[in-house]
Amino acid sequence: MTAATEAKPQKLSKAGSLLDNEQRLAYWLLAPTFVILFAVAFYPLGSVFYSSFTNDTFASAVQTDFVGLENYSNLLSVTLKELPPEIDEATGQQVIDADTGEPEFVSSIQVLPRDPRRYREVGTFGFFGKQYVFGATDADFIESIYDTTRFSAVTLFFETLLGLGIAIALNTAFPGRGLMRAAMLVPWAILTAVSSRIWEWMFIDTRAGFFNIIFQKLGFTDGQTPFLADSATQLPAAIIIDVWKTTPFMALLLLAGLAIIPSELYEAAEVDGANKWKQFTAVTLPLLKPTLAVALVFRTLDALRVFDLFQIVFAQKKYSMASFAYYQLIDSQALGYSSAASVIIFFIITAFAILYIRFLGVTSD
Amino acid sequence: MKTSKWLIAFLALVMVLAACGGDTGSTDTTAGATDTTSAPDTPDTTDAPDTTEPAPSGDCDGEQVLLRTFTGAVGQELEMAQNQADRYMAENPCITIESIATPDFVEDRLGTYLQLFEAQSPEGDIYQIDVIWPGDLAEHFVDLNEYGAADVTGDHFPAIIENNTVDGKLIGIPWFTDAGLLYYRTDLLEKYNLEPPTTWDELEASAQTIQDGERADGNQDFWGYVWQGNAYEGLTCDALEWIASAGGGSIIEPDGTITINNQNAIDIVDQAAGWVGTISPPGVTAYGEEDARGVWQAGNAAFMRNWPYAYSLGNSDDSAVKGLFDVSPLPGKTAGQSAATLGGWQLAVSKYSEHPEEAAAYALFLASEPEQKYRAVTGSLNPTIMSLYEDADVLEAAPFFGSLLDVFTAAVARPSTITSPKYSDTSALFFNAVHSVLTGDADAEDAFLELELDYTDSFPDFTVGTP
Repeated sequence: MTAATEAKPQKLSKAGSLLDNEQRLAYWLLAPTFVILFAVAFYPLGSVFYSSFTNDTFASAVQTDFVGLENYSNLLSVTLKELPPEIDEATGQQVIDADTGEPEFVSSIQVLPRDPRRYREVGTFGFFGKQYVFGATDADFIESIYDTTRFSAVTLFFETLLGLGIAIALNTAFPGRGLMRAAMLVPWAILTAVSSRIWEWMFIDTRAGFFNIIFQKLGFTDGQTPFLADSATQLPAAIIIDVWKTTPFMALLLLAGLAIIPSELYEAAEVDGANKWKQFTAVTLPLLKPTLAVALVFRTLDALRVFDLFQIVFAQKKYSMASFAYYQLIDSQALGYSSAASVIIFFIITAFAILYIRFLGVTSD
Repeated sequence: MKTSKWLIAFLALVMVLAACGGDTGSTDTTAGATDTTSAPDTPDTTDAPDTTEPAPSGDCDGEQVLLRTFTGAVGQELEMAQNQADRYMAENPCITIESIATPDFVEDRLGTYLQLFEAQSPEGDIYQIDVIWPGDLAEHFVDLNEYGAADVTGDHFPAIIENNTVDGKLIGIPWFTDAGLLYYRTDLLEKYNLEPPTTWDELEASAQTIQDGERADGNQDFWGYVWQGNAYEGLTCDALEWIASAGGGSIIEPDGTITINNQNAIDIVDQAAGWVGTISPPGVTAYGEEDARGVWQAGNAAFMRNWPYAYSLGNSDDSAVKGLFDVSPLPGKTAGQSAATLGGWQLAVSKYSEHPEEAAAYALFLASEPEQKYRAVTGSLNPTIMSLYEDADVLEAAPFFGSLLDVFTAAVARPSTITSPKYSDTSALFFNAVHSVLTGDADAEDAFLELELDYTDSFPDFTVGTP
């Protein structure tokens, strides 16, 4: 007994040292990966963090100063002010717009603070008969966050819905399924730069454009709708382009998830008398959930950092968060300011990623 | 192993070729094969690199010089630049020129350039730069006066040379100049018995008359007036013309007075906003030069504001308006108050180029009198060399060069010198403000008050005043 108990720890330590050795070897083997990861991921990220606290100028030798949190407070300061009614000096009554019959209010620029920092109007809204203005020191950035979030939510909704439908259709056995699966991927395979241009032409503001001619023939419009210039149709147009392009990707991911669901489960459900809908909710959805979660994380993060579509189709008419950062960098040469915007985008996306992992139960293995 | 054998064989072949002095003829394959084994013993391997690349022509001592030229691609620009490059290469066999197209939108073009400058990249030698950029970009270019430009600057318009000279250095050699023009349909003015408009009110009325008439005649895609209304540098040009021609100043005056917030400017921009959806397509707020030209050249507009390049293209064979149009100065608030924004492009040589000497020589070739004449005749691009405005061939190809000489010499400059190096920002604030008025998101009174405050923030030394 004593000999055995004595031998055991010896054996263990021997095994332990072997483990240590293997671990050490593993670290050595992984070291190049870490070095590369550091060089291509952490170093650039760190330098963006660093320059976000400076007023660095892009492509110029102008002196750089440390400005602390100045860039961040410029990007993120917001305010809410009530707009006082516009009073007619003669009558002492609120002015009523002659055309619309709506009561008028003092214009936002008179109400929003100017010192020490200037606020610009993001939007106004009425609430219980009072009029309010929402202002921000950088209205463009706040609007870009709002627009990008809306864009992501709506595209994600449609892409998931359509992608799931297509995946289920392609998961059933029918002749020519392989061909259909390949054909489905065509929109995803086209470069965004190219597909954005194609869509831009289809959305052109004259009857040379696909949508204008269709809508005009159907009698909806006069065929002169500026889809990409009118702020009411800009975001819907962008959403259509993105849904067209990215649904195949979603369908592909979900198809992979569907393929691993064993058919015995459906047979068992059939035996238990579950109808198709019940089978879908009780078998397909729960088993698809991990795949769905991964696909949603992928797509959300991708949609939130959308750049190419906005830059090509809208340029400076409408910004996504990423294209805002781009124009700050390229057009204004404001490297520091653009870096701060990028850091904020990074945190917004991280927050979404964490939320997803919490609520959808995506596990690391 | 197999690949390394082939590698040795290849190296041996190279060395043998080097030893033969580039004149091996048809025997080189066999020579290489037979000498494979003895190759490592070749004593003079150190000399090999100098002579491994056989020179394509006996005239070149040294290797081919590759010059990368960033050029515009609006209208026929790229095509002409390639033709010019071919001609230059035929005369200079040691030079290879790559003409690289850059985006049409000035902002995107600037972005492309800035990325190369940030990296101090030698991948670009010659850059086509806008008339508004010398101040902002001076630090990245060589002084062309040191490369022989000083001898020819006297031939060019002095105002452009002055614009391109920063701290005594000539940043760019003028290539072509630009000014906004009013294109009008001679056949339609005749049909409706109208004269070319000299005021904005006249333009509005004529455009409406022709548009109503043409639509009644069955062309429902017809518009009165097309111009550049997208949120980009082109809108700065168009809006500056409206404002200057209405006595509203030039945004920020050359002495540093911020004048944008005045009643004349507010009124004219509000008036222009009224065109959107009435005499101009609702989509004009997304138009650049080429979009306006597309509508115009299809015969679907009575008037167009554009640069001179649209003249020769409008008269090309595939144009629906060939021979049916003419150009005049843009209208003003009152007759004779017309204003045209000064545009135009220069050629600059990068400080990071590996061949500044050759690049400067090519830039000067492109800006020389015969080459400017070629581009004036082929592409109706305004020369910057004064004597070409009296050249018979040029005047035959573009008669308005002579008749509208005043428009080109008296064009209004954008405030790029006084606001340098913050001109891009200044302009972006301006065109975004005007764009918000055009799309109806703001009225001009608020937008220009906001703009005035913006400029006071950006330029604390400037004063606010009236034009």
